[in-house]
Amino acid sequence: MAPISIDAAALLTSVQSIVPEIIVVATAIFVLLLDLAISEEKKHLLCGMGLLGIGVALFSVYALGQGRIEGFSGMIVHDGMGAFFDVVILSACALTFLMATGYSEWEGTHKGEFYSLILLSTSGMMFMAKGTDLMTVFLGLETLSIPIYVLVGFHRNRMSSLEGALKYFLLGAFASGFLLYGIALIYAVTGTTKIPVLATMLYDPRILASPLFLAGTGLLLVGFAFKVSLVPFHMWTPDAYEGAPTVVTAFMSAAVKAAAFAALIRVLLVALPGMQPVLWKVLWGLAVLTMTVGNLSALVQNNVKRLLAYSSIAHAGYILVGLVSGDVLGGQASLFYLLVYAFMNMGAFGVVMLIAQKEDEGYDIANLAGIGFKYPALGALLTLFLISLGGIPPTAGFVGKFYLFSAAVKNGYIWLAVIGVLNSAASIYYYLRMVVYMYMVTPDVEVAVPRPPRILFSMALCASAVVVVVLGIIPRSVLEIAERSVLSLLM
Amino acid sequence: MANLVSSIQFADPYFSVLLLLIIAVGMSVGFVFLSQALGPRKYDRIKYSVYECGVDPFTSASVRVSVKFYLVALLFLLFDLETAFLYPWAVLFRDLGLFGFIEMTIFVGILLVGLVYAWKKGALDWQ
Amino acid sequence: MTGPADVIFYVLAALTVGSAIFVATLPNIIYAAVALLFTFCGVAGLYVLVSADFLAATQVLVYVGGILVLIMFAVFLSNRISSVKLSNPVHFRLPAAAICLTLFGVLAYTAISPAFVLKQEITYQPTTARIGELLMTRYLLPFEVASVLLLAALIGAALLSRPDRPDIPRPDMEEPK
Repeated sequence: MAPISIDAAALLTSVQSIVPEIIVVATAIFVLLLDLAISEEKKHLLCGMGLLGIGVALFSVYALGQGRIEGFSGMIVHDGMGAFFDVVILSACALTFLMATGYSEWEGTHKGEFYSLILLSTSGMMFMAKGTDLMTVFLGLETLSIPIYVLVGFHRNRMSSLEGALKYFLLGAFASGFLLYGIALIYAVTGTTKIPVLATMLYDPRILASPLFLAGTGLLLVGFAFKVSLVPFHMWTPDAYEGAPTVVTAFMSAAVKAAAFAALIRVLLVALPGMQPVLWKVLWGLAVLTMTVGNLSALVQNNVKRLLAYSSIAHAGYILVGLVSGDVLGGQASLFYLLVYAFMNMGAFGVVMLIAQKEDEGYDIANLAGIGFKYPALGALLTLFLISLGGIPPTAGFVGKFYLFSAAVKNGYIWLAVIGVLNSAASIYYYLRMVVYMYMVTPDVEVAVPRPPRILFSMALCASAVVVVVLGIIPRSVLEIAERSVLSLLM
Repeated sequence: MANLVSSIQFADPYFSVLLLLIIAVGMSVGFVFLSQALGPRKYDRIKYSVYECGVDPFTSASVRVSVKFYLVALLFLLFDLETAFLYPWAVLFRDLGLFGFIEMTIFVGILLVGLVYAWKKGALDWQ
Repeated sequence: MTGPADVIFYVLAALTVGSAIFVATLPNIIYAAVALLFTFCGVAGLYVLVSADFLAATQVLVYVGGILVLIMFAVFLSNRISSVKLSNPVHFRLPAAAICLTLFGVLAYTAISPAFVLKQEITYQPTTARIGELLMTRYLLPFEVASVLLLAALIGAALLSRPDRPDIPRPDMEEPK
């Protein structure tokens, strides 16, 4: 066999396309090794180094810009969409680290593994969001999932944490199996796993009609649906969200959802526009089911973490509304909403984390009673995040929902938009219920004493609040970036 | 029978494999039956009693084993998978040259970090 | 049956399917795990037969050598092990049979359907070198990401199964005497 020649220029471009990912993985390894070398009192260094790495990675995304850089013979691409999701995922990761500064100390997650696992998971998400080959998407998914399974069960002495981890692991493993089997079936019919090549294959009506291909696409969708917790594949969500350490819950709700949606959007918009006539019915049904079941279940929750878990299921439904039509307008709205959702949901979890004294019992909704007037800053912040989640102006949540539903109306899915708005109205009930508890319910015993936040923790909350307010008032520029990102897919 | 034998193509590359299979299975199964058939048989109570290292057992043999064993098995599996990746690379080592060496160094290096971590954290210690 | 290859195929297929039936029906879970060993070996043999030498080696290396050991330890770790005689009871025979038959029907239909293009001329050649070449060139990124994935799994495994305080052994676990 002849020696295998390597094209140095192509390799350089390839490496360039994954610079942010390389930085994140290198930081993860560095933090892991640093943990072995330093003493117990200096553990806060780990968090600092992690934040530094995330900062450098964010800068490298900025430096690479929105230009299209293909790498590794079409395995991965850094385009507008990839850059957008890199920013969303890295921001969620940075917020997690900032919040972990306080949380880790009082809940004992201050370990090197914690930070390394979050970073490794982040790298997997970024690979998944930028993957243009189903193989990269699958490996990214696994690299993001395995650390998350471990992180959910990080509190090994809490039964609920272990229960959540086990449920998430078992169902997640099934989901990975579905996804992989779907990829295998699609490969069996088309002979390719490359997402852009798949799109051209679908011009052949024989492939479109092939039952194997339909089964493969279905299994692929099921795999993604598990990860973004669409009904009826959401069973793990409340338990995993409730059991996980709250920082991890916040990270999962924002970043995992963003990464899985990124891959789903890429597959739907790039590979499967040929299936749109069939696919929109499926997505329509899933969106309606997810919104309705998520919101109705959230109405009766008394545990704040479970409530936010069901709310996150409902939000997956809203985001899916933008993907039903499979056009730029809807895609842009979904991207914008994913960004906003990351900040408002992590902010809400952050405040709740401070108010709850302990895991498990601290998250009862009654614990919020009287917080509003006694701790005005926390009360105001939580109120802001909750009304944004409920979609009330002048917050970013409102703008996001407005664009999602108007995209649905413009594409003729009137009923979908109507159901979405009704759901959104119902959701206001349970978000405001928390606000009512904070301001209008007198506590039975005493007002819970929130933990004093560290400076970095306060920074995370303030940053989230600023994003929620600013994007609520002047969303134009970010919406344009989202639009360019979706357009970069279709080029 | 003659018909069957004549229908086998002796030049077939799989013929030798089949022959090996027949001889291997035949010998191992044959020896088991041979020892059954030829060996002397003496049954008594002592011979059929349960013992551990020559002594009567004093606890049940089916206790839960420590999770340590599982950790070792897991670590073994991970490095086993690494070997599965090394194998096709080793076949091509000459053709790949320096570049392939660097690629594999990165791969093994990342896993080496894991080994160092596991080692330092005492996952390999048998207390 | 026309040639030795067919004989070997049927022997291996019988081994695989036969032991798989034992895995599903044997009441003792340890015996079931041992039967699984034969299933894995049979599958490895079938891989060799279709000239997938790398897959066969990986099957033996990973499944027979690794996964099976893991399954065995998982069995040893479970606390129902004392009632080992009936540790693998059979439930829901009829629904299971229905599901299996349906799956068999779908797979059989797919296997003989025209969705797969049959090659007329089959040239058997070693695949390992070709796989190595692709792994090092076209599939370089998934290859390197796999190492990150394995690192994450390693950290997770070491973290979850390590006792909190190494000096205090957990009361509910003991080493086999």
